[in-house]
Amino acid sequence: MAITSIKNLKEFSTSNDRFEGAHTLCPGCAHSMIVRELMNCTDDNLVVSANTGCLEVSTAVYPFTSWDTSWIHIGFENAATSVSAAQVMHKVRKKKGTLKDNDAPVKFVAFGGDGSTFDIGFQWLSGAFERQHDFTYICLDNENYANTGGQRSSATPIGATTSTSVAGTHSYGKKEKKKDIVSIMAAHGSPYVAQLAPNKWKMMAKGFQKALETEGPCFINTVSPCCTEWKFEPKDTISITDLAVDSLMFPMYEIIDGHELNILYRPKNVLKVEDYLGAQGRYKHLFKPEYRHIIDKIQKDIDEDWARLQRREEARV
Amino acid sequence: MSVEQQDLNLLANEKRGRFQLEAGQDLYGWNEVTQGSVLPAFEGDASNVANQKAEERNYSDYNSYSATVSSWRVIKPVFNIDVCIDCQNCWVWCPDSSILSRDKQMLGIDYDHCKGCEVCVEVCPTNPKSLLMFSEYEDLGDALASWPEKKKKEKK
Amino acid sequence: MAVEFEVNEREVWDGNYAASQALRQADVDVVVAYPITPSTPIVENYGSYVGNGYIDGEFIMVESEHAAMSGCIGASAAGGRVATATSSQGFALMVEVLYQASGMRLPIVLNVVNRALASPLNVRGDHADMYLGRDCGWLQVSAFNAQEAYDLALCAFRIAEHHDVRLPMMVHQDGFITSHTAQNVYPLSNEAAKKFVGTIDPVDDMLDFSRPVTYGAQTEEDWHFEHKAKQHKAIMDSVPVIEEVFAEFKALTGREYKRVEAYDMEDAEVCIIGLGTTVESARVAAKEMRKEGVKAGVVAMRVFRPFPYEELREVLKNVKSIGVTDRSSPGGAMGAFYNEVSAAMMTSESRPLVTNYIYGLGGRDISIENLKTIFKEQQANADAGHITTDIQQFVNLRGPKLGFFKSKRS
Repeated sequence: MAITSIKNLKEFSTSNDRFEGAHTLCPGCAHSMIVRELMNCTDDNLVVSANTGCLEVSTAVYPFTSWDTSWIHIGFENAATSVSAAQVMHKVRKKKGTLKDNDAPVKFVAFGGDGSTFDIGFQWLSGAFERQHDFTYICLDNENYANTGGQRSSATPIGATTSTSVAGTHSYGKKEKKKDIVSIMAAHGSPYVAQLAPNKWKMMAKGFQKALETEGPCFINTVSPCCTEWKFEPKDTISITDLAVDSLMFPMYEIIDGHELNILYRPKNVLKVEDYLGAQGRYKHLFKPEYRHIIDKIQKDIDEDWARLQRREEARV
Repeated sequence: MSVEQQDLNLLANEKRGRFQLEAGQDLYGWNEVTQGSVLPAFEGDASNVANQKAEERNYSDYNSYSATVSSWRVIKPVFNIDVCIDCQNCWVWCPDSSILSRDKQMLGIDYDHCKGCEVCVEVCPTNPKSLLMFSEYEDLGDALASWPEKKKKEKK
Repeated sequence: MAVEFEVNEREVWDGNYAASQALRQADVDVVVAYPITPSTPIVENYGSYVGNGYIDGEFIMVESEHAAMSGCIGASAAGGRVATATSSQGFALMVEVLYQASGMRLPIVLNVVNRALASPLNVRGDHADMYLGRDCGWLQVSAFNAQEAYDLALCAFRIAEHHDVRLPMMVHQDGFITSHTAQNVYPLSNEAAKKFVGTIDPVDDMLDFSRPVTYGAQTEEDWHFEHKAKQHKAIMDSVPVIEEVFAEFKALTGREYKRVEAYDMEDAEVCIIGLGTTVESARVAAKEMRKEGVKAGVVAMRVFRPFPYEELREVLKNVKSIGVTDRSSPGGAMGAFYNEVSAAMMTSESRPLVTNYIYGLGGRDISIENLKTIFKEQQANADAGHITTDIQQFVNLRGPKLGFFKSKRS
């Protein structure tokens, strides 16, 4: 695989963007930061698929495409299937010698939002991983159905208000904890699974390159702060991501071959989750006296999850 | 710092930003739309795009590179090359592929594709910042002339 | 290189096996499938050809029919030859993506072994699934026996992949009656079949990296209508290609296919229109009616989409009364096939009488006697000059006679 140098940002900046501007994602959207970075990580040809979602409806609005590579969107749920079948077709055509350029290197990548990954497309994703296709699946996790106006998904954290888990006088917002998609995907026996964040660009780029290089189905969950639905200023996308990873709301780690867990980032100063929650409108109600206990619960969950991650890292099981 | 270096068409391929995204599209008939609504991103052989800079590529009219979102902006980032240390933070985090870096050097902004989100300003580490937001109507020369001085570190 | 699979000049194959042999001979690159009765053996057989080296393609057994068609779309956009098979509930689960396949103009061949739709659950043949697919933008062709299931599957690749067409195509056969009944089939030699089908020449190939393409763009009110209109025009314009491929197939095999098949129609005054295995039964009934002095004929719909309005008018121009048979629960209206035929004849010079017979749901048999009754009722209509029965009737249904709508026309 032709990988791009990510030794430092100066070197990395010599990559040639294959994700074009004048898409219609919101200003400050982390989706495009993540997608750009993935596509800048390799010089190989790419066949990219996308589930329905913000990324898809904003980057291929007829008569314009923002994709300089082969790209396909079918439905809300099937990006993993379409790209993995294309990968099988590539294998067949390469064997038969019917490709335009039989030696051209290619990687297969699917993108989905958390709604399509955790919920509606989960079966398709799980199926493609069970079949061990050689592709990389990137979840752009903004913890809600942003494309349809901010409904709760199974990636929405407890306590967040969304248009279908509305916080009010009788509710503190979403009642249920976020689904642990990373462990679920690791349990498929995937050779490489990780959770990464765009503020740590190098860590994310390393993960992307590892996933692209690894044979078999690789899964990366990326936190993608959504200024529109999380309610913060577009300029703050990266600083919100800093708070997310430094509060350990989004720990960064990888799981190799389904069991070998490595924590990739240990914050020097772990921030209180309050700092992260307080920076976003979707958690504003939690600071009312009657809902303060939910903040305590979220903090307790984070502490427990972090302790568990460390035990898993140590145990390597 | 000259105004030329803030050229609004810096490194622009002749295709760049020719079409307004929402308005003024050429709405042609059923007989002219592409088969299967498939959109080819380039004209001619594009085997080598991964090794080409935007200005070297033969984009098709269907590529959003050919479109502009400049009308989305109410404020715009202005780049001051004299302060810049070429850290490339703005390049890596720009969500709109609008930071024009070449040979490890930050050269300026693609104003056809920048939406004015201000992320580049936020992530700029220099003192004073090398990128600052100004009104969309601010003259670039005036903006540069009004650049702030280096801030003293606040005592903790 | 694939191992040669020997075929005899005459084989005893059921419809499923016949279709799977067509996939093998067409050298399909990728089959993405999910099993469902009664179509399962088609893809199982393809899988066994892969497993035994009789074909160089790949078989992907996915986790649902929705994924099966999604995979077919991804694989087809990746430039190779793609086919699959399904039935009934599986077809229903595929519907979302059937529209996507045709909208993207991908020449996927789908063998549909027709079966009823639940509820109540039923594995037997009727045409509910075929009707469900009628607005999906696919070409639809109907095989009435195993030989035709084989022949038409081969023709389908030629038609669908033709650059003037570039549309997905369904080849229908009746669940169990065709799919599981072993019959004489005269296959082409491997070599002749290969030559007839040819190789696919991809269009907008996702694996041609010199020309990256975006599939599946969003179009709103300013563009969607134009794309759909263009797609409809392509379906309408597929006619000359269908006829050309049928003509070539006839030259090769002597077996002739027409978009509308007509039997004993030269002087017919009354007729039954249908498709699927019922056509052969109706032909037997027509022969018997002729012995009784009724000028009976049978018209069969070979190509259901694009619907052959003009050919139908031509073949029915001298007919006085027509019984249109619909093997699908009409759900609060006339049968869909009745509506199509009526639309064709309403705008004809002769404007014959047209009645609707709902029959065979969930695999219920339709007997020669049932079909003869339909002929007799048509004769009565023709004699009276108006419809003498309810316009819509249910055939071979237990319980009190069920019918709807009266004619006021004389």
